[in-house]
Amino acid sequence: MSNSSSRSVTADAGTARPASVSRHRLAAGKGTPGDWGLAWALLLAFPTAWLLVFLIIPVAVVVVVSFFEPTLSGFNRVFTLDNYRLLADSDVFIRTLSNTVINAVITTVVTFLLGFWVAYYLALVVPDLRRKFALFIIALAPFFTSFLIRAIAWIPMMGREGLLNTALLNLGITSQPLDFLLYSDFAVRVAMIQLYLLFMVSPIFFSLSTIEPAILEAARDSGAGWWAILTEILLPLARPGIVIGAVFVFVLSMGEFATVRLIGGGKTSSVGLGIQNFVTYIQFPQAAAAASILVLVTVAGVVVLFRYGRVAEGL
Amino acid sequence: MAAIATQDMDQTAAAGPAASDRPKGKGTVELRGVTKRFDGIAAVDHVDLTVPGGSYVVLLGPSGCGKTTLLRMLGGHATIDEGEFLLDGVRTNDVPPARRDISTVFQHYGLFPHKSVRDNVEFGLKMRGLPRDARRRRAEEALTFLDLTPMADRRPRQLSGGQQQRVALARALVTEPTVLLLDEPLGDLDRLLQLRMRVELRALQRRLRITFIHVTHNQEEALAIADQIVVMQDGRIQQVGSPQDVYRHPVNLFTSGFMGDNNVVPGRVSAIGDGEVWVEGDGLSLLARHDGAGVAVGQNLHASVRASSVSAKPAIANGNALPERPNEVVATLIFLEYLGDIVKLHCRLANGQTVVAKRAENVRAWEGLVEGEMVRLEWEPEDVQLLLA
Repeated sequence: MSNSSSRSVTADAGTARPASVSRHRLAAGKGTPGDWGLAWALLLAFPTAWLLVFLIIPVAVVVVVSFFEPTLSGFNRVFTLDNYRLLADSDVFIRTLSNTVINAVITTVVTFLLGFWVAYYLALVVPDLRRKFALFIIALAPFFTSFLIRAIAWIPMMGREGLLNTALLNLGITSQPLDFLLYSDFAVRVAMIQLYLLFMVSPIFFSLSTIEPAILEAARDSGAGWWAILTEILLPLARPGIVIGAVFVFVLSMGEFATVRLIGGGKTSSVGLGIQNFVTYIQFPQAAAAASILVLVTVAGVVVLFRYGRVAEGL
Repeated sequence: MAAIATQDMDQTAAAGPAASDRPKGKGTVELRGVTKRFDGIAAVDHVDLTVPGGSYVVLLGPSGCGKTTLLRMLGGHATIDEGEFLLDGVRTNDVPPARRDISTVFQHYGLFPHKSVRDNVEFGLKMRGLPRDARRRRAEEALTFLDLTPMADRRPRQLSGGQQQRVALARALVTEPTVLLLDEPLGDLDRLLQLRMRVELRALQRRLRITFIHVTHNQEEALAIADQIVVMQDGRIQQVGSPQDVYRHPVNLFTSGFMGDNNVVPGRVSAIGDGEVWVEGDGLSLLARHDGAGVAVGQNLHASVRASSVSAKPAIANGNALPERPNEVVATLIFLEYLGDIVKLHCRLANGQTVVAKRAENVRAWEGLVEGEMVRLEWEPEDVQLLLA
């Protein structure tokens, strides 16, 4: 308490006290949030500036440029919808876009189907915490190498003269090398699933880790078999993790171009790769329009995931 | 909850989920040499126990004594390595949890956080394949029975600790078990709620007339709630008896120490008389009312005297000499611990040993007793317990 208030209390206890106390409290109430507000503003200023400069402004620029008139080596600052019209009329672009969405959906679904069990094993089968995290770190090990190396590593494995084909030939399972193993949509999907599996496993692992063992025992006590435990308990409780994992994988797959280029080998395409081609030919407005469409479709997918995933409800 | 506590305990719960027309004695649990080992170490070691149907039994012991493991074996959540578990005379060792007429209220309740209270309660019936209407109705009965109807659509985390416990009870009782297992059911509640809930648990058991087996490490809780207390330590049963029995007549050092505020003195039997045994302890002599069975002169044993059986009054200022009579000793009052309803007197004998006396809080209990002064401590032969086991 401040000096003045304690003095007034001693002076005439009965009457002065309530007034001075309430005044004191009021002053404190006014001062405290203001001080913290400043501290928070300073703390948040840097990340906000970072996001603004490196995300919001570039995206805004891309969107603006997508409405500019293209020239041979750049653009004129004249408004036009031609870039979008051109893309919408292009069968190639539509096919590429749908192929990208299909690949992303397949990758998301398959990483979920595979990743859930990895997460389940890590979170609920491995008994002690130390071993749990040791295994989790090992599962993360591929991320210690560069993304490109992991993508390129598929070539000696899946190529015409790669390990897999050689093995299949030598074992007499096939009479000639299987072409679809590399430079195909199949190869791209397999590679993407491998590359992004961990983005699905991690959030599901953390979701499942929060489940108390007593919950599963109570379910068993009530007569739930493994299927009922899976559908009634584990999947609903893992839902936030599943949705977050799905968002990660879907968004990453939608923007994919390096894997598509290396492992698709020109036989397949993605919007990301298309954008890169536009940029190579200095067609910035088309690139920007394709990018804007890609962002729009990706965001739509994320919205659907959050909508039907009801993430907040499970948290 | 109030409904349970206030309703007549003998009233048959017509609306309740409990089948009160169940023949008496159902839910009898028999254990024969039941053993559980973890990495070769016995967590539960050849336990023999019979729990009569419809009784309230408390497994009491410190953490790690095997009580929870024993409970988990009864519930079917841990395998029985050795021995037999009979439920109403039928071997139940290998029956899966859901097929036993046994339900468990888990420690921290294990409620399904993503389901509403109603769906939590319904779960067991749904798993048993009851049609939707039937399970709705029975869940509703259980909810009414435990006063949960107003919060049936809420999620567990929106409830208070006491309400969560009732949901766990409703979920366990909805399948009409003959045995209810409770693992530290009051452990998550604050003290005042604990005091209330233990009365209500007791009333609930009386009303349902099924067997309750309740695990706790809290002596007071066990004494307040149990028909039979099973004291456990090191995977073995140390003593089985009514609360009065276990409290007044601990049979061994462990029980005597664990039941709290016993003065345990090592000593030697110096004489055996007609219904009396003299024990020369370290710094004091004790006379016990005892038939002499299992006792021989010269035998080393421990004697225990409850703190609440020891009376204290100011010693005569100058007469510091030790009194000649047994069951009396002069000591220094080193600390007077005021606990509200009781007063605890910590006294030190000439040889440094501590004796605790416990008196009800009233003026006479500690009139004239001053820390640092000499006090005369006395107790009756009936209150001296010989620990033979």
